[in-house]
Amino acid sequence: MAIEKNYYTIDPQGKLKCFKCGVPLEKGKAKFLYLDNGFPVELPVCPVCGFVYVPEELALGKVASVERALEDK
Amino acid sequence: MSQIQERGSTHVYKVNKISKEEMESMVTRCVYEEAPFCSAACPLKLDVRAMLKAAAAGDFKKALQLYEKAAPFPLIVSAGCEAPCEKKCRLSERGDGIAVREIEAAVSRCGKQSRLGSIFRTKKKKTAAILGSGLFPLFLAGELEKKAYPVTVFCEQENPEDFLRCAAGFLDDEAFRLELGRLKGKDIQFSFGCRIDAAFLEEKRQRFDMVCVSESILDALLPGSTVIPELMYCEEEKLIACRGEGVMAAAVGAKKAALTADRLAQNLDPRSMRGTEDPFESRLYTDLDEAKALTCIPKSGDRYTEAEAAEEAKRCIQCHCEECMKSCAYLEHYKKYPGLLAREIYNNTQIIMGDHQLNKPMNACTLCGQCTAVCPNGFDMARVCASARRNMVSTDKMPLAPHEFALMDMLFSNGDAFLSRLQPGKEQCRFVFFPGCQAAAVAPATVRAAYLDLCARLSGGVALMLGCCGAICDWAGRYEMQDTTRAFLLSELSKLGDPVIIAGCPTCRKELSELTGREVKGIWEILDEIGLPDGAKGMDRPAALHDACGARGDARTQETVRRLAEKLGVTLTETPYSGDRAPCCGYGGLTAYANPEVADEITQKALSRSDAPYVSYCMACRDRFARQGRESRHLLELVYGTDAGSPPDISEKRWNRLTLKNELLQELWLEEPKEMKLDYELNYTDEARKLMDGRMILTDDVIAVLDAFRENGEAIEDEDGLLVARHRVGNATFWVKFSMAGDNGYLVHRAWSHRMNVVKREG
Repeated sequence: MAIEKNYYTIDPQGKLKCFKCGVPLEKGKAKFLYLDNGFPVELPVCPVCGFVYVPEELALGKVASVERALEDK
Repeated sequence: MSQIQERGSTHVYKVNKISKEEMESMVTRCVYEEAPFCSAACPLKLDVRAMLKAAAAGDFKKALQLYEKAAPFPLIVSAGCEAPCEKKCRLSERGDGIAVREIEAAVSRCGKQSRLGSIFRTKKKKTAAILGSGLFPLFLAGELEKKAYPVTVFCEQENPEDFLRCAAGFLDDEAFRLELGRLKGKDIQFSFGCRIDAAFLEEKRQRFDMVCVSESILDALLPGSTVIPELMYCEEEKLIACRGEGVMAAAVGAKKAALTADRLAQNLDPRSMRGTEDPFESRLYTDLDEAKALTCIPKSGDRYTEAEAAEEAKRCIQCHCEECMKSCAYLEHYKKYPGLLAREIYNNTQIIMGDHQLNKPMNACTLCGQCTAVCPNGFDMARVCASARRNMVSTDKMPLAPHEFALMDMLFSNGDAFLSRLQPGKEQCRFVFFPGCQAAAVAPATVRAAYLDLCARLSGGVALMLGCCGAICDWAGRYEMQDTTRAFLLSELSKLGDPVIIAGCPTCRKELSELTGREVKGIWEILDEIGLPDGAKGMDRPAALHDACGARGDARTQETVRRLAEKLGVTLTETPYSGDRAPCCGYGGLTAYANPEVADEITQKALSRSDAPYVSYCMACRDRFARQGRESRHLLELVYGTDAGSPPDISEKRWNRLTLKNELLQELWLEEPKEMKLDYELNYTDEARKLMDGRMILTDDVIAVLDAFRENGEAIEDEDGLLVARHRVGNATFWVKFSMAGDNGYLVHRAWSHRMNVVKREG
């Protein structure tokens, strides 16, 4: 059986809530797209409207460093 | 505002903006790797500089290793060397050159020999026979042994002492003893008591791969044979031999012969790939101002002791050309001499697949041209980096991220904040004032005062153009964008009737004069002609004048500015690296956007030249210096008695430009500007404002996020009850963490962004 690969996982553990739908965010499937590259990840996602949350630490950390690496390709 | 297209997926190799030949011609201007004058003059190619460095550090073992590399029998060579290195020593132009030969002799006597080298080396397969005795056979045996060839010497003498005495009977007892020890320590086979005749020679030719003979044996057995002096090779007899008298002729001959033997052993043409063998003139540059000790250390006896030799070696200034690296914080940061860095940057542009690891250094150069001004050969790093950037753009390999903010800022300057109007009440104008985007961003009140003053005191009318001259896209290497910007500016100037441009910034002046092909005046020249307005006042303390990189090579501007400062009553203190040699403030070449760390180092270096307040005539310089906490004034602030105060953040810079435009439109042209008011209240915590400035997030970006939130209600609520909304603007997604303030207001706590697009994925 194929094992699904995720580059990064964040579980919101019920701490975040969708403001519009009023439901807690869940660990859900998302992907980052940049310069023709795609990376499957698991991020806090609203199960109703599909809002994907990218926390500050992730944006400035892993995401920024991957961006730099891809930009210099 | 329009968006800049991120680079696409299909990399279309369009144009190479710089050829390999062009790069080679640029790279060879850098003399960092040139041999020092002493080594270039040495017929044995001794690395004199390195030997002196080791001796100065008291490491005579290493010094001897270096000397033996060039001369296998150093004391014999010392005795016969005429020391051309001493004559070429740059110190001899100011005083005594270094006493190299005396130091060499001390090194040969006092240095401890390392024997490990020859014991553990793997020998080569090809063998060499040396027939005869004398200086040449001795030196050649040493050279071939150094190259790891199994060497056998066949001579008439009965023992090594006699063999050495035949070659160097002139040595004193101590030197003879040392050289004999050296000879015995070498991995050379001897066959003593040989009678060398034609049959003997023939037999050795059969047994050995290479046969070398002394001059006397060559003349005795093969009279009339010709030896090619460049190769030390008798081609018709296939023998290695040497003609010439004296120690140096033999030493140099042995070096050439050993190289010939090496080439022949590999079945290669002995004529080719020989490198630089003869002495040559070095192109190296040495700053002699660093030379302190100009007299030789005296000898206590008839020769140097170890300590005296070390002292004398310490006088060596270790000739190196580092003029550009001393003056430029960018080169200092990357710790590479420009010849090497330029080559690496060029190679970076040629990578089709793989990482472009030199993108950062390529984008960190301020393109200011200081290196060209300080380099004795005019090395032009700016041209290398600018061409490389254009090349990366043309081949679709240039990342947009490092320059996007600046490019968008330029589009803003020439879009929402652009203004072009004739002087109120005039049908045509003789002049147009072009203050430049940074002046309007940093010191709008100064721009306003300058324009009103020019209108009042210049006859013929003065139009106003608020915008960017196009330097931003030029620096970013976006040549297509530059063409568009230039066409736009030309058309706007034409609408004004092509008046004479009065630039407020030296870089604008340069760009606009290239654009229009006409003379562009600097406002400093106009003020010099018409005099200062009432109320113009200098500073009560001496100040350091910082020359703008846009005025490099422009003596008239540099002089005029100094004259104006004098008229204002500013006492200027002289700084090192001023005028054409002035460093950049860190803004040029978009370094501040692409590499803020290097830009800060550049600014600090520019400020390290003086403790006084800085006066500049480019608003970007004024801003960069003020950001580092230094009292910094633009000359026009002194002229018009304005004070731009503490430096604005990135959003305030945009706000200043827009507000200046709107206020002038209202005040002078009686036009109603576009409504800029939000229909909700928006405030920021101090921390948010600081974060936004560092992260290049504009208030406009925050407004876009909140506008989207107000429309779609999409946000998440975190544990602390704060809301986080997001919106994609152009090529980036912006996130804003905020709280509601009242019924119709928001307080922004934090903001961040990323360029990657994030989407929900199914399955």
